[in-house]
Amino acid sequence: MVIATKTCNDLLTEVVDQGLCTLCGACTGSCPYLAYYKGRIALLDKCSVTGAQCYEYCPRTHIDMDRLSQHVFSAPYSHDEMGTARDILIARSTEKQIATKAQYGGSVTTLLSLALEERLIQGTVMSKMSPDKTSIATLAKTTDEILQCAGSNYMACPVLEAYNKLPKDSNLKLGIVATPCQVLALTKMRNHPPQNRADINNVQLVIGLFCTWALAPDSFHGFLKEKFEIPKVTKFDIPPPPANRFDVFTISGTTSLPLDDVRNYRMPTCAYCLDMTAELADLSIGAAEGIEGWNTIIVRTEKGADLLELARTKGKLEINKLPPQNLAHLKEAAWLKKKRALQEIINRTGDKKELLYLTLPQGLMDALLG
Amino acid sequence: MATIDIDAPGTSQLFIGNEAIARGALEAGVGFAAAYPGTPSSEILNSMASVARNMDIYAEWSINEKVAMEAAAGASFAGIRAMASMKQNGINVVSDFLSNLVMTGIGPAGLLLISCDDPSAISSTNEQDTRHIAKWLDIPLVEPGTFQEAKDMTKWLFELAEQLGTLCMLRSVTRIAHARGNVNLGELPRKQKKAYFDQCHDARNPFPTRYMPISSPIRHTFLHLKLARAKEQFESSPFNYYLGPEQPDLLIITCGSSWLYSQDAVKALKLEDKVGILKLGTLWPLPEKFIEKHLSKSHKILFVEEIDPFLEQSIMEFAASLPSTAPRPIFLGKRSNHIPAQGELNPDLVMKAITSILGVSYEARDAEYSKKAAELASTSVPTRSWTFCAGCPHRATFWSIKNATKLDGRNGVVTGDIGCYSMALGAAGFYQLRTVHCMGAGAGIASGLGKLAQFGFNQPVIAVVGDSTFYHATIPALINGIFNKSNYILVILDNSATAMTGFQPHPGTGVTAIGEQTQPISMEALCRSLGARVEICDPFDLKSTTNTLLNMMAEGGGAKVAIMRRECELVRGKKAKAPYKVHIDSEKCVGQACGCDRVCTRMFLCPGLIWDKEAGKSKIDEVVCNGCGFCADICPQGAIVKEAA
Repeated sequence: MVIATKTCNDLLTEVVDQGLCTLCGACTGSCPYLAYYKGRIALLDKCSVTGAQCYEYCPRTHIDMDRLSQHVFSAPYSHDEMGTARDILIARSTEKQIATKAQYGGSVTTLLSLALEERLIQGTVMSKMSPDKTSIATLAKTTDEILQCAGSNYMACPVLEAYNKLPKDSNLKLGIVATPCQVLALTKMRNHPPQNRADINNVQLVIGLFCTWALAPDSFHGFLKEKFEIPKVTKFDIPPPPANRFDVFTISGTTSLPLDDVRNYRMPTCAYCLDMTAELADLSIGAAEGIEGWNTIIVRTEKGADLLELARTKGKLEINKLPPQNLAHLKEAAWLKKKRALQEIINRTGDKKELLYLTLPQGLMDALLG
Repeated sequence: MATIDIDAPGTSQLFIGNEAIARGALEAGVGFAAAYPGTPSSEILNSMASVARNMDIYAEWSINEKVAMEAAAGASFAGIRAMASMKQNGINVVSDFLSNLVMTGIGPAGLLLISCDDPSAISSTNEQDTRHIAKWLDIPLVEPGTFQEAKDMTKWLFELAEQLGTLCMLRSVTRIAHARGNVNLGELPRKQKKAYFDQCHDARNPFPTRYMPISSPIRHTFLHLKLARAKEQFESSPFNYYLGPEQPDLLIITCGSSWLYSQDAVKALKLEDKVGILKLGTLWPLPEKFIEKHLSKSHKILFVEEIDPFLEQSIMEFAASLPSTAPRPIFLGKRSNHIPAQGELNPDLVMKAITSILGVSYEARDAEYSKKAAELASTSVPTRSWTFCAGCPHRATFWSIKNATKLDGRNGVVTGDIGCYSMALGAAGFYQLRTVHCMGAGAGIASGLGKLAQFGFNQPVIAVVGDSTFYHATIPALINGIFNKSNYILVILDNSATAMTGFQPHPGTGVTAIGEQTQPISMEALCRSLGARVEICDPFDLKSTTNTLLNMMAEGGGAKVAIMRRECELVRGKKAKAPYKVHIDSEKCVGQACGCDRVCTRMFLCPGLIWDKEAGKSKIDEVVCNGCGFCADICPQGAIVKEAA
């Protein structure tokens, strides 16, 4: 395998220096040489290890969708718009405390709390907004701690770093809340378990988040600092189209910025991402567009289905079918992201056979390029 | 071994050259000795300070060499014999004062400048030859060739300085300063004169005494007259003599330690009947008549001296002025490439020159033996590299500096200075230093780099200085940075000692050279009073130190100060036991595997950590480890375990 000869230098030259890094955190946290700092991956010293895990698990190196799909679903990669899905629903939390803090329907917080209560997991790796409104990766071990992680700032966050930082003898059963690129990296780890990190089989639940793009943390934070008194900011939101705005909530009111201004701070790598709905997760959750206060939930694995069923029977979540017109809209958006990203990749490489990091089944390629 | 104040006239004692100089000063009745530490000069004041109470003299570690010389001049002005000693670099620091002092003349008491040069720069950044300053500034200069001379010359030089009313200089080199030899002792005077700044010399002089360099041309003339009187004395000095046959095939002219090498070489070659040696002890002004007398002895003359061709050029210059009827010998030395113009000499090098000039062959030992010796040395002597001591706080500081500049990501530039931490040019400090020049230069260079924003410069700038260096020469550069709003961070490595030269106290330590308690000069209070943002870090707190540096780099603005405060491990180790017992949990150590790749023994490189190649694990070298425990924080696997000792 080519990977056997790869070093962290290759990660830097092929991914980081090319502007392809997603800041997922798969390469940091357990390594004394690579470190995440203010929206960058820095190399602190030369490392001589070949077959380096940083390269191995990067979501922008050698992604073979069929192989990863086999690992999660025991089936080849689905050609559907949103990948393998058992069911697509809408849900919202029945707990008032969660609903008021949550970004949308509070389903993620509710499901994680339930999983904790039921001892399915003992902690969750996820991102948390710090007081300066940047994001940090954290391990939340209580419902309270999970609740403190509710809400998004749309900035990239090295969530997997929090997993990598766990002592390697940790046997904490884990949930992970991750964006599509982070789920990709995580699936690579599950497919080929890491050395000298906590046992990847401790990960019991993967909740994927819908994602169209993430903002580059350092430059976007700089933009925010120019416009707002950061300590007064309470929440961020991108309302569903056609709003086309980025809302910043402060203690003195809400300011709407044109979404196009904010888009300038997108991570360049997001343009090459085909996955809007975190297709390799147990459950994928996002806003239910056009249905305020609700989440869309894509049920992908048996484990995900069981947890959702438990939430329904315990009355933690109110769950409905996703109306057909919303479903059609979601599918269209997901398919468009795939088409756009594939075209961007081909534009960059100039060759339909060279897809940077990606290997797709030919049938899907044809459909997307058709 | 006896201390330099042993009251045993007529006996012979083993002294290093520096102690011999100090003893000579004591025998001359010196009252005031000042110095700034610097190898190979430090033991002169070290030894004088240690006997200061007993001998009723005053000794101080001054803030720098210039102030040391100025303070000593003050004592001379008030009638107390005084001296300032320093290494060769110090001569540059003091030169501005010297150029005026020679014009004003000294006080009624003798005043000496002692310079210890370091050929091959064994403990220096350069191997500057300071004899030139004597010629440049018209200072009578002597150089001892033996330990006895080191003592005797120093004693005599005080008298000469008083007779001439001018500063006199003694130059020594490492192998005289630090080697040990027999010294026959003289009497120790016990009574010090009363110090008094006599403002009106005598009834004939209506003007008050003024030590002023004007009017310079007139004073320059007087200085030349003083030099002429010195020359007269030098012509018959017992420190100049000739050893050898009346008509040698080759005449060596030499001085200082080269006198010893020349004797060894001639003896080893058994050429005592063919090679003569003219040994000079008084180097400037040249004892011309004495030299002229010997120049006609041989038609081949070889100059053997270390570093620069000082005698070679001066004597050739003098020979050119001789009448055309005088014999014209061939001058050999550095100019003819017989003697290296850099680095220390040794008997082998002198033998090489002699054999090549006289066409004789000589093999010190057979080639086979040399080969075997080299082989043995390469296999049985472990390779050693420059490094900080086990547990040295500097290593921790440079680890943070490295990480902070990498995390910051703008290719921060670190300028360096003079001290143990100069080793951060190499692996010991993770190759962090980009510049090393003279005392205080790092901050000055940083002050310039920090003003380049208008030319598109956005690299953070960090100047690293030691605590002693900070007081010595960095304060003006810091003030310059604050005054001119230069964007740099001054990192002061405050390990509470002038560690590199032997733990001499400095203004921040609260103790003087003679062990008196004094008001410590707080560097943070000083810097804050200048208006700088000052942060104090414990370099062993890796996270907080790194964050402070990152924060300061991100902040920008004018000059800032980060003080890395932790006692020199060697000083701490003398006072207390190791704080931790450190061991490696070999279950957890992953060695070369991904997730470590030997970060402790491949990058961090504390000599207390060793790599067990066979086991593929790191180990603690219990003999070397000082138990500081810092390495536990750099192990990514938590395999280095520290337990309170």
